[in-house]
Amino acid sequence: MQDFNFIKPTNLEEVSSLLINYKDKARLIAGGTDLIIALREERLPSNLEIIIDISHLKELDYIREEGGYLRIGSGATHVEIAQNELIKRYAPLLSQAASLIGSPQIRNRGSIAGNIVTASPAADAVPALIVLDSRLVIRKGQEKREELLQKVFVGPYKVNLKSDELVEEIYFKKLPQKAKSDFSKLVRRNAVDKSRVNLAVVAQQNEDKKVIDIKISAGSITPLPQRFKEAEDLLLGEIPTANLIQKTGEKVAEEMMVKSGYRWSTEYKEPVVKSLMVRALNRVLEVE
Amino acid sequence: MYKIVNKSVERIDVYEKVTGKAKYGADLNCGSQLYAKTVYSRYPHAKILKIDTKEAEGLEGVIMVITAKDVPGNNIMFGKFPVLAQNEVKYIGDGVAVVAAESKEIAEKAAKLVRVEYEELPGVFDLEEAKVENSKRVHSEIENNFIEHSHHLLRSGDVEKGFKEAEVILERTYRTQFVDQAYIEPEAVIVLPDPYKIGVEIHGSIQNPYTIRENVATVLGLKINQVRVIQSTIGGSFGGKDESVMLMAARCAVIALKTGRPVKMVLTREESFLESSKRHPFQANYKIGAKKDGSIVAVENKVYVQGGAYNNKASFANWRASIHAAGPYTIPHIKTDIYGLYTHTIYGGAYRGFSAPQMVFATESLIDELAEELKMSPQEIRLKNCLKPGDEMGTGQILLPGKIPAPLEKMIREICRKTDFESKRKKYIQEREGFNPLKKGIGLSCTFRGAGLGGEGIDTASATVTIDIDGSILIQSGLVEMGQGMRTAHAQIVAEVLGVSLDRITFGNTDTAVTMDSGATVASRGILAGGNAMLIAATELLQRLHQQASIMLNCNIENLISENEFIFNKSKPDKKLTFEEVVKECLKGQGLSLSAQGWYNPGPEKLSPETGRGKAYPTYSYGTAVAELRVDVQTGKINVEKITAAYEIGKAINPQIAKSQFYGGILQGVGYAIMEEMRTKDGYLKTKNFDDFLIPSSADMPEMEVTIYESDDPVGPFGAKSVGELGIELIAPALANALYNATGKRIRELPLNLERVLLGKTLKK
Repeated sequence: MQDFNFIKPTNLEEVSSLLINYKDKARLIAGGTDLIIALREERLPSNLEIIIDISHLKELDYIREEGGYLRIGSGATHVEIAQNELIKRYAPLLSQAASLIGSPQIRNRGSIAGNIVTASPAADAVPALIVLDSRLVIRKGQEKREELLQKVFVGPYKVNLKSDELVEEIYFKKLPQKAKSDFSKLVRRNAVDKSRVNLAVVAQQNEDKKVIDIKISAGSITPLPQRFKEAEDLLLGEIPTANLIQKTGEKVAEEMMVKSGYRWSTEYKEPVVKSLMVRALNRVLEVE
Repeated sequence: MYKIVNKSVERIDVYEKVTGKAKYGADLNCGSQLYAKTVYSRYPHAKILKIDTKEAEGLEGVIMVITAKDVPGNNIMFGKFPVLAQNEVKYIGDGVAVVAAESKEIAEKAAKLVRVEYEELPGVFDLEEAKVENSKRVHSEIENNFIEHSHHLLRSGDVEKGFKEAEVILERTYRTQFVDQAYIEPEAVIVLPDPYKIGVEIHGSIQNPYTIRENVATVLGLKINQVRVIQSTIGGSFGGKDESVMLMAARCAVIALKTGRPVKMVLTREESFLESSKRHPFQANYKIGAKKDGSIVAVENKVYVQGGAYNNKASFANWRASIHAAGPYTIPHIKTDIYGLYTHTIYGGAYRGFSAPQMVFATESLIDELAEELKMSPQEIRLKNCLKPGDEMGTGQILLPGKIPAPLEKMIREICRKTDFESKRKKYIQEREGFNPLKKGIGLSCTFRGAGLGGEGIDTASATVTIDIDGSILIQSGLVEMGQGMRTAHAQIVAEVLGVSLDRITFGNTDTAVTMDSGATVASRGILAGGNAMLIAATELLQRLHQQASIMLNCNIENLISENEFIFNKSKPDKKLTFEEVVKECLKGQGLSLSAQGWYNPGPEKLSPETGRGKAYPTYSYGTAVAELRVDVQTGKINVEKITAAYEIGKAINPQIAKSQFYGGILQGVGYAIMEEMRTKDGYLKTKNFDDFLIPSSADMPEMEVTIYESDDPVGPFGAKSVGELGIELIAPALANALYNATGKRIRELPLNLERVLLGKTLKK
């Protein structure tokens, strides 16, 4: 294992200035559920000098309601998110997703921002955050910038954050009372397993059952987490029928093929994504 | 009735284990020890052109780097495993050099500095390639890839005649995969140069101390008695801590003798996956013939077993397979052939059940397929054909009460009644066509299992029991405790014989310098062979105590009884001698020995080499299971809901431990059936750690209900026979049969993973 200094700053400002000083020679650790594995497998850059512990920083550990928004500190753990009453009420699918991550041990340690910046195509929290239209507050020194969550992903395990930046907060609009949401995943083993497929949906219908909002995202089936716009467009403005829901499921599978190409698992995933999508849509939509 | 035997007493080693006091191999440290690390091959098959160790040797803190040429004795061990590969690497887990350094970190760094030049060679990576005549050979000194002594056969009746009588004939092929034992503790070994004479002392997570002692002695060019092996507390083994530990012990022993310093080696999980044995993959080709009334008239099979690059187990595993290959059924005509094959891949060895889980998956899937063909229920066809009292087995052995029991008929009926098997089965068939993608299924399987080694080898075992002046009793077996509860069962046997409480008894870990060579702790022989040895030793000591007590009580020795810590004359029970009193008189009064060695020797089993028939095993254990599952037919996801199982084991020495063994075996069986697979591609191991080798978590554990059947089986101590391996083998076929019941689709290859269940075929990564 490579040598490095382990630093435990007392506040966020210190963290920011360490990042500015060390840049790509520094790494942040919160839960460590990804970083420790990378360290052990010697996948970290050889110029690594310091690991900065942010897991204890209260400044990053919060979940609060502000106007129409929910704001989550980047250090909030999966278990905190899964059990938080505000999230259960205003973004139930995120609570669901967080409660299904890994195992109790991983949920107790792992942070929401860790799940984002690791950028695994199988991350469970990410599709849920994407359909919530989440934005990130990114900090560099005293400066802050904002970015739409989807925009930070540039490749599998790659985000376009600079080495002197850190994610300070994730925030999104509370779901309207009438909106419905759903998160589901398929695994080979019922705990501690990477998702084969995960699906996140947010939908809203008006009094005439017309779909006025629909957002679909998925994990483990595309190289980058993203929305399935073509599928969404099939439903938007329509009154859903069983047939239309089937077509939407097919569309998601089709979009997966376009974005991922034909892989060893495609023969399996194509029908499965379609079926699971249809089930998810049936849970959130009232059908004519 | 019994006072201690047949009771669920607390384990005698439980306190040390649950309080963390017991030392495992990796916990042991010696002053001035070196840390050793193996440099592994880069290719599945290659010529070694050059090994340059200079740079590694130059690193500060590196004491030595050894290669094959440093091995003082024989570089090749049992099963052709080289201590270190010399001219050629034959699989990806071959070791080419070992570095020894002052710290673990330096050893790791140095291992990366050993430069090896290879010339890559084409290889034989699966059974199909290995079988082909004139294909590339894994071992050039033999004519083909068939593993020496691994062809075992059984001939009973005349299959040609049998198939002529058959009204229905099915031909099917079943396949199974490599899986790892996945013990919680990776292998650890520490080797000390003997401080008093030339030789070494080996401690570690060692399942089979005697085979390791013998092999290390030949590697060092020493006599067997110059190598001493003492087992550490073992964190699970299931058959696995054998070949890999032998390699580690040999490598460390070479360095220990050369440097005069203790040498420690602990494998990482990745190394353990790479270098340790796996369950052999099978390709089992079957032909079965039956009458329309369901009676089976003939079974013919050819089974190919993937052995890997080196192999010392296929010859044994295949013999066991040959006896069990037609299942627990009365079949007049049987022709069985089992073959082991070398490949340039990870290798097969022992894993709980040995060859049975593979064979039982094949035979119990096949019998369900036959039932389907004949439009019979799986219960009906098994009841019709299962071994019954008076029947002759394929081996020619006759099943008789008081000799070899045949309880299956009753067990099958009772488990089907208890699980409501028939009505659920019919209901689930009707629900196949329903709208709900979650389908339920129920499946049945049954088995018989030869107890102990039988004709596989000589089933002798030793035990040393010593009573000290305070009345405490030390028991030491030549077989090892590896978590299965054997030493508690042994203590119960000794306490029962001597009429004392368990508190008196403590245990010594297996030590080759103390107990006679008892062979390997395999084949569920811990109680059957090891327990019999304890019984013999304890009975010998009881004799000596009674001899003395008869003088002290002035009575006939036949009238004496030992019970509840007292020895007394049964016709004058008022005057009782305490156990301590008699012990003291023996040791200090008369100077008698109160240490006895029990030696159990059932004698060799004689089998006909032409037919494989004869007394294969002294007796058999039996089992039956019903699996209930729910499967999502749109994703292929199986949830195992309940396993109900029943096992006939003669007598349970400790019913709770016996049940725990079955629960553990069942859960391993679930993993084997639906998720576990060590994937290899062109000889490279793709499954490197537990993120890819999925074993069931607590969230995958089904409800389990286990019933123990007891019988008048006379072979083992107090009528006990085999427990450890029986739990695992019924589960894969019961689940495959349940899956068929749920979906109408038959899957003939393990594991029943998402892709196979949904698509009915294997997707290759």
